Amino acid sequence: MNSAAFASSGLKDPRKINFERNWVRRAVLASYWVVIVLAFPFWWHLTSIERLALPTSQVRTQVQNNIVFPITVHFDGSFTHQNPSIVSQVHTLLRDSATSEHERWKGIDLRLRGADDEEAFDSYTVVLGERTSIAHSRQLRVSETDAQSAKRLSCLLSDLIANSESSISHSQRIVQYSDHYRLAFTLLHENATPRRFVETWDVQNALAEFVLPLLSKLSVLHNFTVESQVQYHAPLAFEPKRIFLGETEVSGLTQEDLTVFINSAEWTLSSSVSNDPVLHFVLFVPSETHAPLKIIDGEGRPTSQNSFLLPQWGGIFILNDELDSPSSHLSQDKLEPVFRNFAIQLAALLGVPPVPLGLSVGERPILSDWQLDALLRRRALQNVQGTQDTLYSIVKLVDQIDNMPVGQVVRDDILDALASLHEAYRAAATSPAIALRWSSKALSVASRAFFNPGMLALLYFPAEHKYAVYTPLFASISVPLVVALIREFMA
Amino acid sequence: MLRASVWISLAYLLTPSLSLENYKEDLRVQPLRDGRVSTAFSFVTVLDGVVPRNPTALEQPDESQHYALFPLTLGQILREYAITELHLTLNAGKWNYDDWGHPLEASVRTGAELWAWMGASEVTTVDERWSGLRNALSGLFCASLGSLDSRRTTSPVVAFPLSGSTPPFAQHELRHASLPSENVCTENLTPFLKLLPCKSRAGLAALLNPQKVFDADWHGMGVHVIWKEGTGVELKLTLQAVFNPARSSAGKRRDWSLQSLFDRSIERSCPVASSSSVSVVLPEEVNYQITPQIAHVEGSAIYDLSSSSNSTIPSNIAMHWPSEHSFQYPMPPLQPLTPLSVKRTLHGTTQTRGVLSVSITNNSPQEISAGYLEIIPALLTLWMHTLEVETNSEIRSDLLSDLKYQPPSRQPNGHLSPSMVQAVLTIPPKSTLKISVEVNKAFLKYTEHPPDAMRGWELPGAVFFPLPQSANNISSSYDWEMIYTPTLLVDLPTPDFSMPYNVIILSCTLMTLIFGSFFNLLTRKWVVVEIKE
Amino acid sequence: MDEGTVLPVLVCFRLLLAVLPLPGQHILKHDHQINSPLTSYLRLKEGLWMLDNNVDPYMGGSFHHSPLLLSVFSTILPPIPIIWAVSDAVGAWALLRIWRARQGLSLHRATTSTAESLIVSAYILNPYLLFPSLALSTSTFENSFTLLTLMFASEGKPSSALLAIAFTINLSPYSILLLLPILMLLVTSPASQLASPRPFHGSINRIASLFGEFMLYWLVLVGAACIIADGSWSWMKASWGASLTLPDLTPNPGLWWYFFTEMFDHFRPFFLMVFSVHLVIYILPVCIKFQHDPLYAAFLLIGVLGTFKAYLTLADPGLFLSMISLFPEVHGYLRHPIVTTLLHLHAALLLPLQHILWVSEGRGNANFYYAASLVMGMAGGAGLVDACWAGMRIALGDVKVESEGKGQVARWEVARWEVAQE
Repeated sequence: MNSAAFASSGLKDPRKINFERNWVRRAVLASYWVVIVLAFPFWWHLTSIERLALPTSQVRTQVQNNIVFPITVHFDGSFTHQNPSIVSQVHTLLRDSATSEHERWKGIDLRLRGADDEEAFDSYTVVLGERTSIAHSRQLRVSETDAQSAKRLSCLLSDLIANSESSISHSQRIVQYSDHYRLAFTLLHENATPRRFVETWDVQNALAEFVLPLLSKLSVLHNFTVESQVQYHAPLAFEPKRIFLGETEVSGLTQEDLTVFINSAEWTLSSSVSNDPVLHFVLFVPSETHAPLKIIDGEGRPTSQNSFLLPQWGGIFILNDELDSPSSHLSQDKLEPVFRNFAIQLAALLGVPPVPLGLSVGERPILSDWQLDALLRRRALQNVQGTQDTLYSIVKLVDQIDNMPVGQVVRDDILDALASLHEAYRAAATSPAIALRWSSKALSVASRAFFNPGMLALLYFPAEHKYAVYTPLFASISVPLVVALIREFMA
Repeated sequence: MLRASVWISLAYLLTPSLSLENYKEDLRVQPLRDGRVSTAFSFVTVLDGVVPRNPTALEQPDESQHYALFPLTLGQILREYAITELHLTLNAGKWNYDDWGHPLEASVRTGAELWAWMGASEVTTVDERWSGLRNALSGLFCASLGSLDSRRTTSPVVAFPLSGSTPPFAQHELRHASLPSENVCTENLTPFLKLLPCKSRAGLAALLNPQKVFDADWHGMGVHVIWKEGTGVELKLTLQAVFNPARSSAGKRRDWSLQSLFDRSIERSCPVASSSSVSVVLPEEVNYQITPQIAHVEGSAIYDLSSSSNSTIPSNIAMHWPSEHSFQYPMPPLQPLTPLSVKRTLHGTTQTRGVLSVSITNNSPQEISAGYLEIIPALLTLWMHTLEVETNSEIRSDLLSDLKYQPPSRQPNGHLSPSMVQAVLTIPPKSTLKISVEVNKAFLKYTEHPPDAMRGWELPGAVFFPLPQSANNISSSYDWEMIYTPTLLVDLPTPDFSMPYNVIILSCTLMTLIFGSFFNLLTRKWVVVEIKE
Repeated sequence: MDEGTVLPVLVCFRLLLAVLPLPGQHILKHDHQINSPLTSYLRLKEGLWMLDNNVDPYMGGSFHHSPLLLSVFSTILPPIPIIWAVSDAVGAWALLRIWRARQGLSLHRATTSTAESLIVSAYILNPYLLFPSLALSTSTFENSFTLLTLMFASEGKPSSALLAIAFTINLSPYSILLLLPILMLLVTSPASQLASPRPFHGSINRIASLFGEFMLYWLVLVGAACIIADGSWSWMKASWGASLTLPDLTPNPGLWWYFFTEMFDHFRPFFLMVFSVHLVIYILPVCIKFQHDPLYAAFLLIGVLGTFKAYLTLADPGLFLSMISLFPEVHGYLRHPIVTTLLHLHAALLLPLQHILWVSEGRGNANFYYAASLVMGMAGGAGLVDACWAGMRIALGDVKVESEGKGQVARWEVARWEVAQE
C-alpha cells in the first residue's frame, strides 16, 4: 500500500500506531508464554504421582546374600584318643550330606574341631558319656558304642543341627512366623445338657504347669497372649460313624472326618481383632449320643489316640472321660494328659524340631538348647528368605506398573528392612537370637511396605484417560500460541 | 513333682470357689393396647471383679483372659481397644411411642447406632481405636459399621453420658455415630446369638426364629457393655420385637402364645444360666386368660425356666381373650402413653432448600424440660439464624435455652464432620412446641454420590432426653426416657453421571474459543485491505 | 425533565425500592443466578449469628465473606437494605465522576448532560445489577468499591485509590487483576487516548512506590482481619481459598461449577490451577497493548472477570455492561453488539428457567442449566472480544466516504478499503 492510497482512504497507517509496534507485540506474546512457562512446574507438581526412588540396586544385591550361621562342634579329647580319625570321618560324611541335601543345610556353616583346637564360646561339644543323650548347654553325650561309628555320629549331629523335618514336607504344618501369637484354649461341649456338662475347668493351673514353661522357653522367639473360653453348644457338621465293639457302641471319626471336624460355620472360636495369628487348642466334650468318640483307622477299628493336630490351626483333644453329674468340674489331674498333649502340639505347630530317635533328654525335658538353636536358625532363615522375596517383589512391581505411587513411608520401610537384614547377617555370626530379632523386624517392615494401602491408588488409571482430559483444553489453546510464536520467529 | 501336685490340689481345696461369672436371661412379654405384643429378651453376663483395660498400658502385653460364660470374641475386641463402655444397636422399624410407651431398652434409633466411651491415651489416640473398634464390630456382626467414619461421628456428651462408673485411670471421651440406612437381617442375628453361652439351642434364645422376628412390626437387637465399680463388667444383649397377632392370625384376634409368636417352644433350659424367667405383664382389663396359671406378682406373671427350678418348664405360655370375637382397635383420640410426643418433618419441594421442623407435644399437665440433640450430616447446611421456636402460633424464644451449635469442620481426611445442635427446651403443659430451621441441601461432587444417587440420603433421628437432675431442675413426676424421632430421607440434586468428558470438552472448547479470539486480537497485525471491484 | 435531576430521582427510586416490602424478595435471596456462596446475604446473616453465639464462623464451610464485612455489619451498621441502596447510589455517583474525569469536565457540575443521565441509569437500572442489589448480595459492595477505586484513580488521588483497591481485594481476591491498570492510571490521565495511542509515559519508579503503598494498606487490612477473626488464619482459607479451591459446588452462571463437579479427583487441583492462571494470564497482555488508556485496560479486565470468575453471578457481567457507557467513542466500532445483546438476553432468560426446571420442578436435569451457563459464557466472551476489537479499531480512524458530485442527492459510494487483521 502506498501512502497516497492510504491518504485517500482516511485510515491511519496501521504500522505507525503505537500498539502495533513490534516490541509491543513481542512483549504481549512473551507475557503469555512467560506465564505458561511459570505454570509448568505447578502442573508437574499437581499431577505427578509421588514415586520416590527405591534402592533397587541394594535390593538386588541383598537378594544374592544369605544369612550364614557359623556352628562349631567341638569334639572332646576323649574322642581323639580312641579314634584319631573319627573327627575327619564325621567331617567328610557331613560334608557329603551338605552337598547332597542342599536345602537342609542352607545357612549353616559347620566346623568341626578336635581336642587340640581351642574351645570357642558358645560352641557345641561332644563328649563321651554313659548313654547317648543331650545334656544341658549344648552338650551331646555319646555312649561308647556310638562313639565308634562315624556314621552314627554324623547322623546324630545332622539331626540335631539341621533337622530334615524342617524341609518342605513338614513345613505345611508349621504356622507362619509372627512376633506375637494368641493361644486360645477352648473347652467345647458338643451339646451341654444338665446331666452332662462341664461347668468349670482348672485351666489356669493346668496352663501354668504344662504350657507356660514352654512359652517362657520360647519367649526369645515370640510373645504369647493366652486366652481361654468355654462354649456349651458346638454341634458337629457331620454325623460320626457308629461302630459296634461287642456290646458297646462307640462313635468313630474317620480320617476324612478329621479334616472337616472344625465346623467353622457354627463355631466362632476367635474374632480376627488383630493381625496376629491365633492357635486354637480345643478340648472337645462329645454329646451324650456321641460319647465315647474315638478315632478309627483305615479298617474301621478304633485307635487309642484321642487327639489330632490341624496344620497351621491348632490341636484338638477329645475327652471321653465319664463326667459325674450334675455340674462337673475338670480338675487339674483330669486335665494333665490334655495339656501335656497341647504342649506337644504347640511345640510342633511352632516348628520346634523333635529330638532324634534314640536320644534321651537330660535334665530339662521341655526344650533343649539344641532344639531352640535349631528353631532360631530355621526361623531366621525363613524370615530372611521372606524378606528378600518381599523386597524383590516390591521392586519388580513398582518397576512394572508406572502408575503406582511410592510414598515416603514405603521408602522408609524398605530402607529399614534392608538395614535390618544387614544387621541380621552381622548378628548371625555371634548370636542366633539377635539375628532372629533383626530378621523378624525386617520381615514385618517389608510386609508393611508391600501391603501399604497407598500403593494401590492409581493402579487402574489408563493413560488414554489422561490424554482425553488434557487434549480439549491444551491442544486447542496451544495452536494459536505456537503459530504466533512461529510467525514471530519467521518475521 | 508329686509334692507339687499335692500342694496345688491342697491350695485348690482351700481356696473357695469364686463364681466370677454370672449369666441371667429374661423375657418380658407385654400386650399393648393396639393389639400388638411387645417382647423384650435380655441376656446379661456379669464378669465380677474385672476392670477395663488401661489405655495408657496398651503397648504392654495384656493379662490373660479366661472366660467361661463371657464371649471371648467380644472380650478380645474390648481389650484390644481398651473400651470402657460400648453400646451397639441394630434396629428396624419405627417405634410408636404414643401407643406402645417407652421401650424396655431406650435406644430404639432406626438403623445402626454405635457409641463408646474410651480413655484417652498417647499410645493410640481415641480416634484410631474408634476406627479399629468399628471395623472389628462390623466383622463380628456382619454390619457395615465401617462406614461410620468421620462423616458421621460426633461427641454428644450430654445426651449419652456414661451409664456405669468412670475408671480412674484416664480422661474418658465419647464417640458416637449412627447409620440410619443400615438394614438388619438374619446375617446380624446369627453372630448375635453366637455371643450367648447357650447359643440358640437351649434357654430363651431358642425362641428366636429369624423368620418370625424379622417379620415383626419393629425389631431391634442391642449389645451393651457397662462397667460398674462394685459389680464389674456387665454385658447385656437385648432383643426387642413388637409382634402383631391381629395381623397374622386368621380371625384378627389378638390372642398370642409363644408358639404363635415365634413358631418355636422352649424345650430345655440353659444349664449355665443362674436365672431364666419369662415375665408377662398382665393387661388391666380382666377378660383375658393366661395359661399356664401362676400366681401374679405386682401385675405380672413370672415363670421360672431355670434348670434348678423344681417345676417343669412350661412348654408354651399363652394368653387369649375368649369373649372377644375379633380385636376392636381402640378409637382415637387416645391419650399417648408417654408424656412427650414428637414429630419431625422436612418441608420443601425444591432440591436446594427446605425447612426442618420438629414439633413436640407435652401431654402431661406439668411443664417438662427436655434436652434436644440433632446430629445432621454435612450435606444439609442449617441456617441457624432462621431458628424459630413457636407455640400456639406465637414466637417464644425463651422456651429454647442453652443452645450449643457445632458447625461441620473439615477433618484431616478431607471429609466434613456432621453439625450438632444441642438445646434445652421447656415445653409448657398440654401444648405443642414447634422448632423450625431453614436448611440448604449440598451439591456434591460426581464422585461423592453413592451408586443409587436418586434414592437420597437418610438423616438420623433427633433425640429428646431428660436432663440430668440438678438442684435447679424441677423434676417432673412423669418419668420418661430418651425419645428418638424417625429418620428422614433427603434427596439431593444430582449432576449427570454420564457427562465427565462431555463437560470437559464443552467447557474447554468455550474457554479456548474466547481465549484464542482474544489472543489473536492482541497479537495479529492490523492491515488495510483494498477491495478491488 | 430537567436533566440535572436524573441522579437524585433514580437514587430516590432505589431508596424506595429498598424501603418498601417487595413481594419477591425472599425468592431473590435464594436465587443462584444473583447469589453465590461468596456473596449471599443468608450466609452473611449466618456468619453474624455464629459470631454472636461464640462459634467460629470460618469453621463450618458455609461462611466465605471477609472478616472486615463481618466486623462492619456486627458493630457499625446493621445489614439492612438501605445500605445496599446507598451503595448503589455511591456506585452510580462514582461512575459519573469517572465519566467527568475522562471527558475532562469539571467534577462538580450542577447539571448533568444526556450522556451522564444515561450513564447513571445504566448503572442503577441495569437488571443485572439491580436484582443482586435487591437480593442484598455483597457483590454490590464489590462493584461499588471497584468503581470508587477507578474514580479515585481517575481523579489522581493515589492514597484513596490504593486504600480502596486494598479493601476490594480483601472482599474479593480477583480484583487483583485490576491492580496494574490502576497503578498505570494513577501515573497517567484518564482522558481517552484510544484514538491516538502513544507509548506509556508514566514513570516506573512512581509505580513501584505506589505499589509499595498499596502493599502497606493491604497488609494493614489483612492484619485487621486477622485480629477480627481471633488471631487465626483460617479465614484466609475459607474466604480467599474458596476462589482457589472451590469447596462449594452450588450452581451459578459461571463455567467453573459443573466442570469441577464432574472432574476426576486426580486432576482437580491441576485444573483449579489452570483456571486461576487463565485469569492471571490476561493482565500483562491487556496492559501492554492498552498502555495508552489504562482505564480501558481496566474495563477489559473487568470483562474478563465477568466471564471467567470462579463464583460468577449476574452482577459481574453487569458491571462490565454498565461500564460500556463510559466509552461512547468505541460504540461505533463494535462489530456485533446485537449478537452480544441477544446472547445476554437469551442467557438471562434461560438461566432461571433451567434452574427452576432442574431444582424445583425436577423435570429437567443439570445439563440444561449447564447449557444455559455455556450461553452465558458465550455472551460474556462475545462482549469482551468485541470491546477489545473496538478499542483497537478506533485507533485506525474512519474510512472516508466520498460523495461524487455536488448534487442535492449524495450518491452512496462503496468504500474501497477494509480494515482486517492477519
